[in-house]
Amino acid sequence: MWSWSQLRVVQALVSTRGEYDRLFSIYVPLAIGVFLVIVVAMIGAVIVFRRRPVERAARWHEHNRLEGAYALLLACVAAFLLYLTFTTEHRVDTVADRERPALIVDVTASKWEWTFTYPAYGFSVHSGAVGRQPMVVPAGEAVRFDLTSADVIHSFWIPALRYKHDAIPGSTQVFTLVFSRGVFPGQCAEFCGLRHADMIFTAHAVAPSAFAAWARSRGRGPRP
Amino acid sequence: MSVASARTARVPRMTGWLGATVSTDHKRMGLTLGVCSLFFFLLGGVFALLMRTQLAQPDMQFVSDNSYNQLFSMHGSTMIYLFVTPMAIALALYLVPLQIGAVGLSAARLALAGLWTWLCGGLVMQQGWFASGGAGRDGWSSYAPLSNGTNTPGVGQDLWVIGVILAAAGMTVIAACVLATVARRRAPGMSLLRMPVFTWTALVSVLMVVSAFPILVFAMVLLYIDRHGGHIYTGFAGAIDYQDLFWFFGHPVVYVMFFPYLGAAAETIAVCSNKRWFGYIPFVASIMAFAALSMAVWSHHMYVTGGVTNQYFAFTSTLLLVPAGIEYFDAVATLIGGSIVLRTSMLFALAFFIQFLIGGLSGIFVASPVLDYQAYGTYIVVAHFHYTLFAGSIFGFFAGVYHWFPKFTGALLRESLGKLQLVLMVIGTNLTFFPMFFLGNDGMPRRISRYPTHPGWGTLNLLESVGAGVIALGVLIFLVNVVVSLRRRVVAGDDPWLGHTLEWATSSPPPPLNFERPLPPIRSYAPLLDPRQEGSTAEARGAR
Repeated sequence: MWSWSQLRVVQALVSTRGEYDRLFSIYVPLAIGVFLVIVVAMIGAVIVFRRRPVERAARWHEHNRLEGAYALLLACVAAFLLYLTFTTEHRVDTVADRERPALIVDVTASKWEWTFTYPAYGFSVHSGAVGRQPMVVPAGEAVRFDLTSADVIHSFWIPALRYKHDAIPGSTQVFTLVFSRGVFPGQCAEFCGLRHADMIFTAHAVAPSAFAAWARSRGRGPRP
Repeated sequence: MSVASARTARVPRMTGWLGATVSTDHKRMGLTLGVCSLFFFLLGGVFALLMRTQLAQPDMQFVSDNSYNQLFSMHGSTMIYLFVTPMAIALALYLVPLQIGAVGLSAARLALAGLWTWLCGGLVMQQGWFASGGAGRDGWSSYAPLSNGTNTPGVGQDLWVIGVILAAAGMTVIAACVLATVARRRAPGMSLLRMPVFTWTALVSVLMVVSAFPILVFAMVLLYIDRHGGHIYTGFAGAIDYQDLFWFFGHPVVYVMFFPYLGAAAETIAVCSNKRWFGYIPFVASIMAFAALSMAVWSHHMYVTGGVTNQYFAFTSTLLLVPAGIEYFDAVATLIGGSIVLRTSMLFALAFFIQFLIGGLSGIFVASPVLDYQAYGTYIVVAHFHYTLFAGSIFGFFAGVYHWFPKFTGALLRESLGKLQLVLMVIGTNLTFFPMFFLGNDGMPRRISRYPTHPGWGTLNLLESVGAGVIALGVLIFLVNVVVSLRRRVVAGDDPWLGHTLEWATSSPPPPLNFERPLPPIRSYAPLLDPRQEGSTAEARGAR
């Protein structure tokens, strides 16, 4: 049996992948449908009206009221897509405002290395052109990332979570992600110079207890 | 009449190299600009082939990382600043005065100066290859602070910045001359709402060039100062400012690279259907709306920066589907009821509309911030804009070439070679660009010089590289077609296709002052179709 408190948790923990997949499952079939309708109309018209004598070519060449109605229909489609996009984006973008994070990770991007610092535990791990240490996070809990860059623009991207955010020098960008259990490759998605291709990392999402054990073994233990 | 003959006396007939370099005849300038652009197209294509060789298999080192970065940067820069945009302007330069019944271009000497400024820009940019450290290597957009003097030192990137300034300034000047010509030199009877469809697409393009390109020149001058100790684009605000300025040019240019080719495909479809283009007024309104919106969508390139109001730009970007839908409606409605002849030009025009649709629909996809959080900076975006620019614009360009080549040269292109080129290019294009959607969604970022072994990536990348080779073969067939058709000429005559617009009412190629015979009466946007339809109506009445 569910309770109201469980429902609140489900609503609050927005899965970026789930939101993306839901929107994708509306946008893409719609696009494929539109593509098929137009292609069939075009090819059909070509087949039917091919090689008719020139004198039989029709003279009509406008129907503004029909096109006006069509434009209105298109505007409704645009409104529908925007409604979906706005509501979804609101959920994805406001996680950080609503959710008290179980963990904060400071991410500093630099050429061509990621530095993941766990301020509560007082240690860092490195990954990229030199380092190969995984970023470990607790699964099923809100993890807040404070993202910045030391030199040029980079972009923190975890493809499996369907989310990325730019790391821009001179600013700290805050966003919150929720991981399911597993190993997730991540990499820089903004061209950042010579060894951009090597700026990769992996996120290991483990049970909260396993995370706590790992973090304590690396650092000072959580500060109150 | 005496005025015209006096003018004729003052225009010396300049032929050959002299004509190509100093003539102020808009047709000679258009051809020079077009041929130079085509040269840059081949160069940019070679860069693409080298990139696709490197990416054919995981972890290849066919070229170094540094060379790869130069290749993708110069591929994009060459294609955008030196081929697709100037070629669009070249078509406008050649055809607009003819289509509106003008004897020449306004401020033609200024346009000639613009042409040479642009060409100097292109050559300066390519000289970067000979600089130590190599050519421009920060992408065609060269974001600050990556492109500042600390992160990308060297002459190559400086030459890139100067090249972009010169190329953009030159194109702005030419576009201004085309705009002035439309404003001032239309033939009697050629009201704005009787201008042909292609002229309208060219007009909105040059309007966007004049409004947006100066911003690029400005941004690049600041970047040059920044690179030499100016501290312009510093900190978060500086990084965002650069992107705002760049994309304020960078999105309108996307439509500059689209509209004239849309116009070319539209004219081709109308002529090859022997039917007037459907829905002229809604079409004109829709491309005006398109142009206006295109100046208001620039920050949809910046959804993941955290520095813009995503909802506003998602709103304007998604709204683009309304004018785009009107264009497709018009294209289909023009076909219906026509008398369709499937020439090479028509096949390219149909391929333009069908393949561009994939680019357009994926554009609505990436217009949604949540979907773009995944798509941004990946091969999804690369697939999207190659479907618009290559599968779209380049096919529209070839439709235009097969349609107007007889007018430019007086000779017909070979149909059999043309259809072979079409088949190769359709196969090659889709083989190259469709797998990119899957690679991008699966986690492959753009602009990486190598990729690790990953299930499926090697196969898809290999398919893309094979596709690139097939495209190259198609382009080679086109060049063979041009050479064969010019060597063994099949005389085209003034109007081989039963054209609708005024350029078909003069000789092929047109004389220096465009029209030696009196112009037909201009009562609609298809002045040559009007008398034919009236004639056949009279005949039909007589028969009855």
